[in-house]
Amino acid sequence: MEVDEVVGTKWTGRWKHLRKILERSSPFAHPDFEPSPDILEFMQESCRLLVIGAGGLGCELLKDLSLMGFRQIHVIDMDTIDLSNLNRQFLFRHSDIGKAKAEVAASFINKRVRGTKCIPHFCKIQDYDSSFYKQFHIIVCGLDSIVARRWMNGMLISLLEYDDDGNLDPSSIIPLVDGGTEGFKGNARVILPGMTACMDCTLDLYPPQVNFPMCTIAHTPRQPEHCIEYIKLFQWEKDKPFGDIPIDGDDPAHIKWICKAASSRADQYGIQGVNYRLTQGVIKRIIPAVASTNAVIAAVCANEVFKLATSCSIPLNNYIVFNDSNAVYTYTFEAERNATCVACSNKPRSLSFKPTTLLREVIDFFCQDSSLQMKSPCVTTNVEGSNRTLYMKNIPSLEAATRPNLAKSLQDLGIVDGQELIVADVTTPNSLLFKLKLSDDIT
Amino acid sequence: KEKKYDRQLRLWGDHGQQALENARICMINVTATSTEILKNLILPGVGSFVIVDGGRISGEDVGNNFFLDPDAIGQSKSKVLLRHNFSLELNPDVKGDYTEEDVNQLLNKNPQFFYSFEVVIVSALDGATQRKLAELLWERKIPLVICYSYGFTGYLRIVVNEHCVVESHPDNAHADLRLLDPFPELIEYANSIDLEQMEKKEHSHVPYLIILYKYLQAWRKENDGQAPKNWKEKRQFKEKVLEGIRKNEHGVQEDEENFEEAAKQVNSALVPYKLPDSLRQMFEDPKCTDVSEESSNFWILANGLKQFVENNDKSLLPLRGSLPDMFSDSESYIKLQNIYKAKAKQDIDLFTSYLCNFGYVNGRLSDQEIKRFCRNAHFLQVVRGRSLSDEYKKISQSVLDGLISEEASDAVWYVMLRCVDLFHTNFSRYPGVIEEEIDIDVTRLKFHILQSISSYLAFPGLSEAISDDYVQETCRCGAAELHSVASYMGGVAAQEVIKLITSQYVPVTGVYIFNGLKSTSISLDV
Amino acid sequence: MIKLFSLKQQKKDEVAVGASSAGKSKPTAAQLRLTKDLNELQLPKTCKTEFPDPNNLLKFKLIISPDEGYYVGGVFTFSFTVGLSYPHEAPKVKCETKVYHPNIDLEGNVCLNILREDWKPVLTINSVIYGIQYLFLEPNPEDPLNKEAAEVLSTNRRQFAQNVVRSMRGGYSIADEVCRKMVQHLGTVLLFITGHY
Repeated sequence: MEVDEVVGTKWTGRWKHLRKILERSSPFAHPDFEPSPDILEFMQESCRLLVIGAGGLGCELLKDLSLMGFRQIHVIDMDTIDLSNLNRQFLFRHSDIGKAKAEVAASFINKRVRGTKCIPHFCKIQDYDSSFYKQFHIIVCGLDSIVARRWMNGMLISLLEYDDDGNLDPSSIIPLVDGGTEGFKGNARVILPGMTACMDCTLDLYPPQVNFPMCTIAHTPRQPEHCIEYIKLFQWEKDKPFGDIPIDGDDPAHIKWICKAASSRADQYGIQGVNYRLTQGVIKRIIPAVASTNAVIAAVCANEVFKLATSCSIPLNNYIVFNDSNAVYTYTFEAERNATCVACSNKPRSLSFKPTTLLREVIDFFCQDSSLQMKSPCVTTNVEGSNRTLYMKNIPSLEAATRPNLAKSLQDLGIVDGQELIVADVTTPNSLLFKLKLSDDIT
Repeated sequence: KEKKYDRQLRLWGDHGQQALENARICMINVTATSTEILKNLILPGVGSFVIVDGGRISGEDVGNNFFLDPDAIGQSKSKVLLRHNFSLELNPDVKGDYTEEDVNQLLNKNPQFFYSFEVVIVSALDGATQRKLAELLWERKIPLVICYSYGFTGYLRIVVNEHCVVESHPDNAHADLRLLDPFPELIEYANSIDLEQMEKKEHSHVPYLIILYKYLQAWRKENDGQAPKNWKEKRQFKEKVLEGIRKNEHGVQEDEENFEEAAKQVNSALVPYKLPDSLRQMFEDPKCTDVSEESSNFWILANGLKQFVENNDKSLLPLRGSLPDMFSDSESYIKLQNIYKAKAKQDIDLFTSYLCNFGYVNGRLSDQEIKRFCRNAHFLQVVRGRSLSDEYKKISQSVLDGLISEEASDAVWYVMLRCVDLFHTNFSRYPGVIEEEIDIDVTRLKFHILQSISSYLAFPGLSEAISDDYVQETCRCGAAELHSVASYMGGVAAQEVIKLITSQYVPVTGVYIFNGLKSTSISLDV
Repeated sequence: MIKLFSLKQQKKDEVAVGASSAGKSKPTAAQLRLTKDLNELQLPKTCKTEFPDPNNLLKFKLIISPDEGYYVGGVFTFSFTVGLSYPHEAPKVKCETKVYHPNIDLEGNVCLNILREDWKPVLTINSVIYGIQYLFLEPNPEDPLNKEAAEVLSTNRRQFAQNVVRSMRGGYSIADEVCRKMVQHLGTVLLFITGHY
């Protein structure tokens, strides 16, 4: 047999599978699709991806995306590797325990799939600002936290740009592909911020966590879980078994103590079934996980990224749920936008003021402008990542604290050109966003 | 180990893990898809595996396979995969082996080779060899899993003669409360409670189960011993329950969560018991009626269950013994729970007495196994699939229904892949692999399609359903194996193998198709 | 069909990798929603809010001075902490005033269904405040956190009312209770110390 030649990252046949898809036309491709070798080159050289999370989904995503021809991949994760990750997070070995997930995963991928330039970020997504996220073409989320998902969702919506007529500039859209798993169930979705249903539009698809009633936990426990919650909520703070520190679900000493305390509480009531595994499950709110579901959901996500980047087929519109506990079941549907979604329904409106305009005048404008006609707007904004309350009329204590702001000019309040104001008023179902243009030339 | 597997032990338990760790599987042909399947079996800790592939690694193979290295191009696929990557890296608990022998040769000279496996997985094997292998395994009752990726399409076929599931883990099972068929201990306890005489606090903490029991007895008294049957009666019953909420001195109803809960549970708690059809069928199965020492544990237990059911006049199954959480004070709930637990234990003992003697030979049935069987008696499942040769005799109804359904169905990809097989048999290559012959391949493939559906043309809309677009797309992909699709199928197939090994959760018994163009999928009986 | 932009024409600027804090001005969904909630707050006249830091709307205090019921004359402070997951998850509420109340324990935990098992994202800060206010009008002895208080409330309302009054006068119930007992036991000693012996 003829041996293929390997030169650096190139060898005969390496991309043969992909080339058939990218260099031939298809009846199922996007109308814009033009088969060409340039597509693979674009994927390898220019198309920048961000993978959020280097856990169960993240490891699979990095493998899938790099083998699908992408090379410019960033990965961000704030966690370190734990023994219980190894049953599915296959880029990690026993000797990696304690190291940063993002770093180990990136170096593994770079070594294994030649030519990949995966860059790790060992931090929280909130540590970066819009200038970081702007550089990416597509962002893929493999997270287990709804807070982080919503944050990312909000970030991408904030990057949207509109022209003066309120039309969305398509080049400002960064598609968000999101996957999630729980045991044998999973879901994947494609979000085109500003165009299709966003994370907050469909918040009801993520059920809130189950909380037991406080009084059940305190006085009428019936289940082992109730006893464990009792220790967590009441006993821990009272006894301070390890000093004045919060519970660390990864510290076996903590779990052992809670397990013991919960067992003796359970004994008092004749409740059976408190054990170490259950205790840890309740304290850490552990979600069961298997390799297979992660593989499936990550694969759907990677496939969608591939389709979005290349137009070689129509992307998922826009949600798929998966469950293989009873045979294999999937359901694909279009999640609808929520017209009153807090996150994506309001396009920031542009307003122009002079830097010397007083806050009082801005508020008067909100009340008098014929298209707004607000009654008693409250105004806040965000500076350096934290909230600034500019004026809040409805709450006496805040009104008193913010009243002096009314007589201050925008520039004295530290408001800069491009700043967004959050304005809430009884006349609108949601808070509105206004983007300020500050210029001396405005009359 | 327990910590490493913690997240999956919460799904299939220590006994499921044990079954997995005892299992030996065989994987025929190294492709991106089969490699992904194996990866997803090694990670959770399958006992051991053997890779069968005599082929050499090409540049193309490395391009879509995470576990092959370009430096190994030209070397043996099975050897490289095993030696350099899998067993050393992924999970030190798993043992692996390989053979470079040709499958056909093994089938001819050494068919016993395949007998030692729990499951055999095959990817991209030519049709004739595959059918031969399938036949051999069918006779030996070893499940065969066929899985591959073709362009944006993923294909999975599980060829299993019979598969028995003890723990099917249904998502929404009704609790086994026995309200309509109460047992003596429950009756006795309920009778010892007098709702009227209770203090307010006690009254508002009586478990809903007792409330429903009390109101049910009252209802029966007024209705010739009948329980509420239809929707209307159940609504009336519900109203009666809600009227039971105590009133304060101003005649306003107090807040009694337990009564509200009782009203909510009426519909599910008052469903008359009926022996599930699946169990009725199971009891009629010759395997259940005539057990011998050769019978599997499942059938020995099923035989015991049949006797248990036949020896009580209501055909009741052993009580499950678990009680859902309900609003109550601790003491009443625990008391009730213990009554259910004790009854379940009593049923298990009775059940055990029906088991035939050879169930105990060499301790083949453990107490744990008996207990699990009883607890899951309602949900036992015996699934039977069709053989590959039966499938190839004619197109199944399920496929035809899919094809002529209003919406575009992924069943069409099943037909496409079957015709690709035919094409391969005739031309010894896949359509679309040679750039210059794509157009002629389209024509050839269309011909094969016409040939295979010719006897079904009477079905309205059938020929239209298989439009030229699908043929075009099938030739376009030229048997490309996309890693994304391979990885999807690798996940799905691995989980099916785990289901087959652990006898937990219900596996696919026919064909499963994934359509990566639309991110949709379909299961077909074939 | 969604009209997709052509990614190929899109040039993305390379940015220096590393955290920077400039321009982190993105309001979160939680913040947008909370601002709206607060602007629409319709407080009963017995309630007021206080924001220790006017710029931090996520942390504030609720002060309730009931004008009817057992707790007339008392002043009770609750701390609210709204997380970034709001309104997916309920705000965290603790009672900072020691109070003799069947649904509030001495650590300040509050047993209110909409704060835990019955929380829904459609509920607002206003709903929570009304819920808490209701607890002072109608303490519920059925599902208690402070069992002793509940016991008294359901068996002897007058005694309960007296206990409430005493607890509000003397600080909080247990201390009050303990003091009373101490006085009984140590009465003579105290008298001795104060020179009335």
